[in-house]
Amino acid sequence: MVSLLWLIAAATWAPVIQAAEDPLIMGVFPRRNAAETARLFTPMAVYLGERIGREVKLVTSKNFDSFWKAVTEQQFDIVHYNQYHYIRSAKTYKVIAHTQEFGKNAVAGVLFVRKDSGITEVSQLRGRTVIFGGGKDAMLSYIAPRFLLMQAGLKEGDFKTEIAVNPQNALVALYYRQADAAGGGEVVLDQPVIKNAVNVQELRLLAATEPLLFLPWAVKRSMPAKLAESIQSLLLDLKNSDAGRQILKSAIMTGLGNAVDRDYDPHRKLATAVFGPEGTAR
Amino acid sequence: MRLNLGAKFTLTVLIILAGTMAANTLYFLDTSARFHEQQLVERGRALGRLISLVSPDAILGFDFLLLNDYTREVSSQQDVVYGVIVSPQGVPISSYINHSDPLIKKRLESVNSNDIPKLLLRLDSQDDLIQLEFPITQNDALLGRFLVGISRQSLQSEFRRQLMIQILVMIAIVLFLGTAIHAAFRFNVLFPIQKLIAASRDVGRGQYTLVEVKSADEMGLLTRAFNAMTEEVRQEQAKLHRQANFDTLTGLPNRMMALDRINLEISRARRFDQRFAVLFIDLDNFKNVNDSLGHAVGDELLVATGNRVQASLRDTDTVARLGGDEFLVLAPDVTNEMQVEEIAERLLRAISEPQELSERKVVAHCSIGIALYPDNGENVETLMANADNAMYQAKATGHGSAIFFTEEMNTRLRERMQMEQDLNLAVELGQLALHFQPIFDTAGQRHRGAEVLLRWHHPERGAVSPAVFIPLAEATGQIVGIGEWVLEQACRSWSAWHNGGINPGFLAINISRIQFRKRFSKRLSELMSIYGIPPQALELEITESVLLDDHHQVAEELNSLRAIGLTLSLDDFGTGYSSLSYLKRFRFDVLKIDRSFIAGLPDNPDDVSLVKAILAMAKGLDLRVVAEGVETQDQLNFVTIQGCELAQGYLLARPMNEEAYRSYLQDLQAAGELPRLSAVRT
Repeated sequence: MVSLLWLIAAATWAPVIQAAEDPLIMGVFPRRNAAETARLFTPMAVYLGERIGREVKLVTSKNFDSFWKAVTEQQFDIVHYNQYHYIRSAKTYKVIAHTQEFGKNAVAGVLFVRKDSGITEVSQLRGRTVIFGGGKDAMLSYIAPRFLLMQAGLKEGDFKTEIAVNPQNALVALYYRQADAAGGGEVVLDQPVIKNAVNVQELRLLAATEPLLFLPWAVKRSMPAKLAESIQSLLLDLKNSDAGRQILKSAIMTGLGNAVDRDYDPHRKLATAVFGPEGTAR
Repeated sequence: MRLNLGAKFTLTVLIILAGTMAANTLYFLDTSARFHEQQLVERGRALGRLISLVSPDAILGFDFLLLNDYTREVSSQQDVVYGVIVSPQGVPISSYINHSDPLIKKRLESVNSNDIPKLLLRLDSQDDLIQLEFPITQNDALLGRFLVGISRQSLQSEFRRQLMIQILVMIAIVLFLGTAIHAAFRFNVLFPIQKLIAASRDVGRGQYTLVEVKSADEMGLLTRAFNAMTEEVRQEQAKLHRQANFDTLTGLPNRMMALDRINLEISRARRFDQRFAVLFIDLDNFKNVNDSLGHAVGDELLVATGNRVQASLRDTDTVARLGGDEFLVLAPDVTNEMQVEEIAERLLRAISEPQELSERKVVAHCSIGIALYPDNGENVETLMANADNAMYQAKATGHGSAIFFTEEMNTRLRERMQMEQDLNLAVELGQLALHFQPIFDTAGQRHRGAEVLLRWHHPERGAVSPAVFIPLAEATGQIVGIGEWVLEQACRSWSAWHNGGINPGFLAINISRIQFRKRFSKRLSELMSIYGIPPQALELEITESVLLDDHHQVAEELNSLRAIGLTLSLDDFGTGYSSLSYLKRFRFDVLKIDRSFIAGLPDNPDDVSLVKAILAMAKGLDLRVVAEGVETQDQLNFVTIQGCELAQGYLLARPMNEEAYRSYLQDLQAAGELPRLSAVRT
């Protein structure tokens, strides 16, 4: 009898379910491992889904290659990635917001050295080992420090390059004397994970770029404008409510600010300097 | 501190037990410590292998945060003090330091917590730290090394905890086992031993308690042996008690038991205000029975006497043999002296009834001395002494009598004792003197010699009769010394007279029975030699009582005297046994008729007949006869007519002291009435 009732109920609701819209896919770049990423951003996906009345499905990637492949294939309706990712995908995605971390909208790319290393000028890094975090796509950990090196006259080959899995590890490697300098965003030094891992007092900032806007949030340019605006509005409104602030805190952000494409022109300039005009057009 | 057997045994067991358990515990703990140490090392190796396995990718990828995670995750375990990954150059690239560990805490006081190499260096020589090192490689390329330090402190803490538990358990076991062993030892060994000790003390007190045998083990055997020993001791003690308290010959209580009984009776009589009597019984002339009939008959007589005495008494009376021929009767609860007299008479009658011993008919008599409590003494010593005194008085009064003790007896006894003491000094003080009573031949009334008489002039009592002091001297044995003094004095006097040109004739000297027993012939020979006395100058007068002693000894002594050439005279003939067999067996030269027979002459027909018979017998035996105590002419005439050769008495001459006698002899010599010196006696 119970089974029969279930069959009747299923037959009655089946058309309604089929009539619902497909979920929006939200991609987040693998800055952290997939599980951590899912834990941090699921509240936000749920928030957006509830507010726009359409399911928002969070998709994580196991590495940067698979993530970038999904970007290029426009699998994501909403995407959160780094600045270099954006400037390379700006033709298919439109930035709608940027993250605020540590209460800041922008952060400089810097080169760190150990205080006891005796290095006071970037040029002293010639012939030495410089470690960068997160790969050559990393805006603050690779492109910006490379820009600083280039400004000091050091081209690739004038120093030994090591790549750590992320900026934090590059800093830890520096601390443990596995490199003579490390590249990264200036906020890395303030991150709890670094403070817990090393004695940051033994490190110092060697050189820094101008502040660069934080990580972008973008939607597919093919997304209806109303929906895009709705999503942007919801994201920017997060910091105005306790629930929203809780969601931001969960994602290790202090807020989300408005962003437009030209806000990332400084980033394009640095990428072009480092990789050449092709670097940004990939 | 003195430990008893149980404490010693338990202590020994506890020491052995504690030692064994301590050794076992130490072995267990050592093994346990080794095992735990091995476990720690294995844990360290497991950590090392795990780090070696997971670290290469992180190292190669410069993923130091992940490496840190690995290090922390792997190292943040109990006992791990630090886990450090160092580069091949020795630079730390990941570390976990357990800051709460005491070892680290102590070092951090002097070392910066971030200075990992220095910290590791400080920890390098720690005994309580297991330090392991594992290489981290990738395709044989050394990527780094994992250093891990594992503290032994928890192991040591665990060791101490285990040690404490083991000690507590050991103490509990030792106490339990000690208590159990002590209880078992106490029940199985100590209790039986304590019973044996108590029984031993009982034996010491004369209570022969047997101990119950409860087991068949060694303790049971010991108990059986102890019981057997107790039984032996009891029997032996009973035997000793009998020997100590009973006379072996008669089976009667002995002196000791008699004294005990009297003491008990004194207590009882004092409590109930009663009187009782102590009767001393002494057989008269028992020695004669022994000597004449032999000791076996004497013993038979004693046994028979004991039986008769016992048969004559009430059940409540006690008879004891004090020794020799002395018996004692304790008659309790007597109301008057008549009652005691009846008892004494029954005893006299019973003892004097003729009896046949060894096929010989024997009639024994006894003397009984009686002392009454509390009239004649309130303690055993006084009662015994007074009864004894009374018995001697009874004996002195004649055979077969019983006498109650009187205070006068004590007076006499004291006098006798005083006289005894005075007599001891009499010789030294020159109170003794020899007197001489001449003896004449009846035919011509010529002087032939003299009888030596002993006189004692006491400074207070004056002249003491020989009839008083000679028996005393004989009773005390003083007669031996006195007799020798008499002999020497007589010899000296005779020698002095002779050397003075006087022929004193012979000297008749009385010899006591006591002297005779002492074989005085040797000494007499010496004196005769010293003073140059010829044998015919001495005549030895002995009484028939001498002949009652050991015949063989008497015969030997008489023969010795005869061999010297001395004249032997039988004194007081007719007053004693007057046994003709003695005259036949022992050869005498002279018979002396006692003065009691001479006194009745010539009118008393009995005395006349007796004197005639003696003279006739003497003539037949070729013996010369001396009539003593001749005080009248008629008496002298009678004996002379009847053929008596010699006479002495007041009629002829009174006894004289030495000086008088010397003058007397000189006068006789001057009158030519003495024979020439060459012929002392004819």
